[in-house]
Amino acid sequence: MNSPGASKALWVGIAGTAVTALGILVSGQTAVATSWLVGFGFWAAMAIGMLMMIVIWHVFDSSWSVALRRQFEHGIAAFPWLALMLLPLILASYFGKRDIVWPWMNPLHPVFSGRTVSTDVLYEKKEAFLNLPLFTAMSIGFFAIWIGLSYRLRKASFTQDVDGDVKWTHRMRFTAAYGIPAVALTLTAAAIYWFKSLEYHWFSTMYGVWYFSDCARGAISLGVIIMLWLYERGDFKGILKRDHLWAIGQLMLTFTVFWAYISYDQYFLIWNANVPEETFWYNIREYGDWWYVSLFLVFGNFLLPFLLLLSYRYKVTHRTIRRIAYLILLVIFVDIAYNILPALKDQNGNPLAFFSIRLVWSITSVIGVGGFCVAAYLRSLPTTKLIPIHDPRIAECLNHDD
Amino acid sequence: MAEKTHGLISTFDTAGALVHAAQMVRDAGYRRWDCITPCPIHGLDKAMGLGRSRVPRFSLVGGITGFCTGMTMIWYMDKFDYALTVGGKPFFSPLYAFPISYELTILFTAFATIGGMFLVNGLPMHYHPVLNYEHIRRGTDDLFFIVIEKADPRYDAANTKALLEKAGGREIVEIES
Repeated sequence: MNSPGASKALWVGIAGTAVTALGILVSGQTAVATSWLVGFGFWAAMAIGMLMMIVIWHVFDSSWSVALRRQFEHGIAAFPWLALMLLPLILASYFGKRDIVWPWMNPLHPVFSGRTVSTDVLYEKKEAFLNLPLFTAMSIGFFAIWIGLSYRLRKASFTQDVDGDVKWTHRMRFTAAYGIPAVALTLTAAAIYWFKSLEYHWFSTMYGVWYFSDCARGAISLGVIIMLWLYERGDFKGILKRDHLWAIGQLMLTFTVFWAYISYDQYFLIWNANVPEETFWYNIREYGDWWYVSLFLVFGNFLLPFLLLLSYRYKVTHRTIRRIAYLILLVIFVDIAYNILPALKDQNGNPLAFFSIRLVWSITSVIGVGGFCVAAYLRSLPTTKLIPIHDPRIAECLNHDD
Repeated sequence: MAEKTHGLISTFDTAGALVHAAQMVRDAGYRRWDCITPCPIHGLDKAMGLGRSRVPRFSLVGGITGFCTGMTMIWYMDKFDYALTVGGKPFFSPLYAFPISYELTILFTAFATIGGMFLVNGLPMHYHPVLNYEHIRRGTDDLFFIVIEKADPRYDAANTKALLEKAGGREIVEIES
């Protein structure tokens, strides 16, 4: 730990993890492990979103984003840590309670009317996909691809700082060209395995796109926070211009509409078709206080940020755009919790309440996983130049003017 | 002749000279003046001291109108005018009315944006006095112009001409309105 901020973040991560672990004594291991998945899902979204934005910017030869791209290259240093964060859940599924998070991992897990997973025809149909060895192999594969891409992109970009060779830019473009489909497919499969399979009876072709919308929006909002933090620390003085904030604010608006579009589509198609295999997923999310969480997502995740981000002034004023970025991170947390936590059921099959002591473990999980991810970012940050000084587009980025 | 003057036009050879001159005209406090360029120039709006466009306000009003039109239209038609039971669904729900309302939001926003742009720019405009200038066509090719209108409160034939000369403009001539 060469930077004091990084070791502080690491201690925050350890403390958050420890408090979450103590939660097992209060709420039991299944509730805490599922909450841990919320924290993991939140930060995995940030890292995947950063990786996705980097490869998209490369393929589109984007110039305004070059200075921010360097920060995202530091951010994706978190992937090995994230792999470590998922490991306890997989190990527990092997050696502890098999259905600690994902019910289908235990053949004797009761599903409905006295049946168990092993005698459930819908599980039998999906067994070739939903089984623990494949789950493990796929999870290893996802992280291998993400870590491999991150390694290549980081190495090329950081080496270019030193030797200034333009071949690194060509190499990054090449990596990005196959990186886009690779990340798109892996994040879709990861969302299906890690989150959607919690209720394996349900299906939605929108699910991967839903997770991507949270990934991209979270990374961009985090990018705003990072840029303004660096600006106030003095590093980005003279680099961050009003038009950079305008450009990234437009992306925040875009992905706010994108989230609303795909979330609404998923809801509307299920509402319209009215098939029980699909509607149950939303029915349990209207039970108890989840109804208010659903409404909060409609208004807080879409309407409020949408109206705020329409304004040019809000997008370029540091104070307001940062508040909007924090608001978006909050609603992404609620959105991921909304997708994961109703999988915890009481003995009548109804979802356990959102506002309860279990919410604390979700929050400590976000702090715990976040501490490690922020530490990875802060540890990478001082190892290179602040901006990619030899990138062919860096002058255009610094003089960006819309 | 004096009553019929539109203003002064001056010629610049490069975009850099034009931006520099525009800053001087802006700082001299002129309001009714314009630049004529063959291509968009980054930063010229700032050099001219122009604020942000007012067109987005028209767009917002158009968007809200479109959304409300879609919702009320479907609500009236499906609940009162021609109520049909489809798939056991309620006669009206904002859920299924949303796609149409959203399409109308986009349509009305587009109309309001184009209409607002015409209104703010004073279009359609079939005649403009600068077209009387004999070299004006080169403003679409290789020359840059600054026109200061006589209607500007600061306009004074001698002083304005001196300012344009100082700003590096050449061939400063009066154009008829």
